[in-house]
Amino acid sequence: MKKMFVLLLGFVLLPGLFTTVQAAEKMNFYANITAIQPIMDEFNAGQDIDGIYTRISTSKYLATVLTEFSAGKLQADVLQSPLPIMQMLKEKGVLAPYKSPAAAGYPAWAQQDDTIIQFGIEYVAPIYNKDLVKPEDVPTRYEDLTDPKWYNKMVMPDPSSHATTISWLVGLKEAKIFGNDTSWRKFLKGLAANKPMFVKSFGPTPAPIESGEKVLGISMPKYIISKAPAPLDWARVDTLLGTPRGIAISANAPNPKAAKVFVDYWLSQNAMQLLATKVGEYVLAPGVFPPIDGISQVKVLPIRSLSDDEIRSWGKEFRKIFYAK
Amino acid sequence: MFKKPTLTTTLIVIVGFLTLCPVIMLLLGSFSQDFVSFGQFTTVKYVEAYTDPDFAAILWNTVIFTVGSALVATLLALFLAYVNTRTDLPFKFIFKVIAIVPMMIPHILFSVSWVLLLNPSNGTLNRLLMDLFGLKDALFDIYTLPGMILVEGLLDLPIAYLIIAPAMSAFDVSLEESSKVCGASNLRTLMRVTLPVLRPAILASAILVIVRSLASFAVPSVIGMPGRIYVLSTHIYRNIASGFAADFGKAAAIGMSALAASITLIYIYRYLTSESGKFVTISSRGFKPTLIKLKNAKYPLFVIVGILSFVLIVLPVMVLFYTSMLPYSMVPSAKAFSMMSWNNWVEVLKDPISLLSLKNSLFLGVVGATIGTTLSIFVSYVIVKIRSTASGILESLSFLSFSFPGIVIGVGFMWFFVRTPIYGTLTALLIGYIATYLPYGIRPISSAFVQIHSHLEESSRVCGAGPFYTMRRIVIPLLIPGIVSGWILMASMFLRELTLSVVLSRPGTEVLAVQILHFAEDGLWGKLSALGIIMIFISSLLVILAAVLGNKLTKMEVVNK
Repeated sequence: MKKMFVLLLGFVLLPGLFTTVQAAEKMNFYANITAIQPIMDEFNAGQDIDGIYTRISTSKYLATVLTEFSAGKLQADVLQSPLPIMQMLKEKGVLAPYKSPAAAGYPAWAQQDDTIIQFGIEYVAPIYNKDLVKPEDVPTRYEDLTDPKWYNKMVMPDPSSHATTISWLVGLKEAKIFGNDTSWRKFLKGLAANKPMFVKSFGPTPAPIESGEKVLGISMPKYIISKAPAPLDWARVDTLLGTPRGIAISANAPNPKAAKVFVDYWLSQNAMQLLATKVGEYVLAPGVFPPIDGISQVKVLPIRSLSDDEIRSWGKEFRKIFYAK
Repeated sequence: MFKKPTLTTTLIVIVGFLTLCPVIMLLLGSFSQDFVSFGQFTTVKYVEAYTDPDFAAILWNTVIFTVGSALVATLLALFLAYVNTRTDLPFKFIFKVIAIVPMMIPHILFSVSWVLLLNPSNGTLNRLLMDLFGLKDALFDIYTLPGMILVEGLLDLPIAYLIIAPAMSAFDVSLEESSKVCGASNLRTLMRVTLPVLRPAILASAILVIVRSLASFAVPSVIGMPGRIYVLSTHIYRNIASGFAADFGKAAAIGMSALAASITLIYIYRYLTSESGKFVTISSRGFKPTLIKLKNAKYPLFVIVGILSFVLIVLPVMVLFYTSMLPYSMVPSAKAFSMMSWNNWVEVLKDPISLLSLKNSLFLGVVGATIGTTLSIFVSYVIVKIRSTASGILESLSFLSFSFPGIVIGVGFMWFFVRTPIYGTLTALLIGYIATYLPYGIRPISSAFVQIHSHLEESSRVCGAGPFYTMRRIVIPLLIPGIVSGWILMASMFLRELTLSVVLSRPGTEVLAVQILHFAEDGLWGKLSALGIIMIFISSLLVILAAVLGNKLTKMEVVNK
C-alpha cells in the first residue's frame, strides 16, 4: 500500500518537477512586432534559454496584458509594443526598471527612461509601385501627394481611426514639415481631395500597390524588404516620421534572469542587424540601417506619444476632413 | 420523452454557463471605467456609444447589409437545395459540395478574392468585361453595399443550405400531389404548400444569416472600409482602434444592440413557428421523398447551376490557387505566369507553426463538432418538442455568445477564462468554440426535429421503449440529415475559427486561422492562400466523410426497418 502511495505521489510530483525545470529555461516574449522569427531562432540557438514569441496585435495588446496582469497570470517575461502602450503599462505597474548595457550606444532620448528602452521607429513613408509610376512622377515632397494626378490612385490606413496614422499626421504638423499650420491643413485637404482608399491599418497597404489596384500609398518602407520581389520603392522625402517601439521587462517576470539576457540580446548590434536586414525595421542601434536604398541618409524622427484622448480628438477632426462629401 | 423539466433545467445550466459567462464579463466591462472587466461603475460608455452622430447611418447600413445578405443566402440556398434534393439534376453530388465550399474558406481570403476579381481599378473580371465589350469604365464596383451583400451572402450560403436542404429532403411530396389533384398549378402549390411547410427552415436560415452577418468583420473591413461603408462591426473596430488603449467595454456597449436584435429575432422566429404541428411532414403514416423528373429542363438547368456555381464559388477559389503560386499580388499577365512557383506551398508545409496549427485545428474541428452536435441534439429537442417559457430561455441562451460581434466576444471569453486554470489551453478554445457556435448545431437539427411528429415517439413508448432507446432507434435515425448538417457546419467553422482564437490561442495552441491572420498582417498573400487551400482541402475531406457516413447510417436504418 505504502509503495503504491509513493509511486502515485511520484507520478503526481514528477511532471510538476519537470515543468519547473522547463519553466526556468523559458522566456516568454509578448510583442506586436512581426516577422521576427529569424531573431528568435538565433537567440534560441545561441543561449540555453527557450525564447517563446507570443504575437499580439496592437488593438488587443493592452487588453490582453492588463487582463492577465490583473488576474495574476501574466506569462510574459519581456514586453514589446509601440511606446504609448509601453508607457501605459509602466503607469499600471506592469513593467520593471532595467537599464541594459547593450543600449549604451543608442541615442540619449531612446534610453532616458529607467524602464522602457526605445530600440526602433515604426517609420512611415510614401510607397509606390515602381513599374507603374514613372521616375519623373515620383513624389519628392509630402505636398506632391496632393497633386490631382493621384486622384483615386492612393491607399492609406483610415486617418479617422488608425492610431498610428493619426499620430503620424499630427507628427507632420508638430515637426513643422510644412512650415506652418495653414500649410499643414492645406496638405490634409489636398490629400483628402485625392480620395485615397482607406484600409484598417498599415498591414493591408502594400497589397493594392503591388497588384496595381493603386499605385501610391502612405505605408512603411519595411515592406520593400519583407515583400521582395514586389516592385515597391519609397518616395525620397526629406524627413520620415514614426512611432517609437519600446521594450521592457515584466515586473512579475516568471524568469527575470532570462528576461534580462533576452533584452540584452535584443538590443545587441547583432539582433538589430537581423531586424533591419531580414524585417526591414528602422532600428536605433548605431550604424545599423535596413538595406533599402537611401534610408541611411534620410532623417527619421520619433513622433511624440499622443494620449488616447488626443488621438480620439484628432481622429474626429480628420474624419471631418477626409470623409467630407 | 425524457423527464422534461429536469432535462430543460440541466440544459439551461450547461448552456447558460457556457454562453452567459463571457457575456456577463462584457456587460461588466461595458459599465467599467477601466480597460478590464472590473472597474469603477460608469454609464459613460453607453452614452458615448449611442449618441455618436454617425450611429443612425451605421445602423441603417447594417440593416441593409444583414437583411440583404440573408436574402441572397436564403434564396440561393432554396434554389440549390431544391435542385439538389428534389430533382434528377445530373452530377448533384458536385453541386452539394460546391454549395458548402464557402463555409470552408477563411472569410478574409474569400473577400480578398472578390476584390481581385471585381475592384474597379484592375479587377480581373472587370478588365475582362471591359476588353470584351470595349467599355471605358469598370462595370462592377465591389466596394459598395451590393458588393458587400453579394460576398457576405455567398459566405453565409452554406449556413442557409445546410438548414434548408435537410428540411427539403424530408419533405413529404404527397402534400404537393394532393394540392395538384385539387387543381392547383405548380406555382400555387409552391407558394401555398411547399414554402409554407418549409417556413421554419427558411426563417431559421434567414435569422441565422442575419445574426452571422451582424457579427461579420471580414467583408465589412476588406470591402466596406475601402468603400467608406461602415456597419456595426467596423464601427466597433473604429472605436477600438482609435487609441492605443482599446476600450473593449465601449465595444461591448455597442455590441449590446446586436445582442438585443438577435434575441428579438429569435422570439419573432418562435412566434412565427409557434404552431409546430403545421410543419410536420414525417409522421407514423410513413413518407417517401420522391424525385421530380426535369425532363427537357434537365440539361439547361444543369448549365445554369453550373455557371452559377463556377462564377460565384469556383472562380474565387481559383483566384486563391493563382495567388498561392505568386511571390506577391499581381493581376494575370505574362510576367505573373512566368513568376509562378510552388515556393509558398513548400514554405508553409515546412513551417513548424503552420503544421502545429493544422494538427490543433483538426483536433478542435473533429472533437469540438462531435461534442457540440451531441449537445445540440438535446437542446434542439427541448426547443422544438417542449415549447415552454424555459425552452424559449434556452434558445435565447444558445444565441448569446453567437450574437456578439466576433471582435468583442473573444475578449469576453478571455476576461472569463483568465480566472480559470484552463486559460491558454486547447480546452479553453474547445469550450469557447462550442459555446459560441452552438446555433450552428441547433438550427439544422431543430429544423429536422420540427418535421417529426410526436406520434412516432409516443408509439415507441407505448411499445415499452425507454427514452434513450426511443431517441437512439426512432428520433436520431430520422434526424441524421440534420445531424450531419450540424456536424459539418460546426466542424468547418471550428477549422477556420478566428475571432476567439486570436485572443485565446497561445504558443503551443496555435490554430490555422490565427496563422492565416498573421500571414495576412504581414501581407504574405501567397502563403496565406496556400494555407487557405490546405484548410479547404481538409474541410472538404471532413464534409465528404460526414456525408458518406450520414448516407450509410440512413441506409442502415432503412434496411433494419
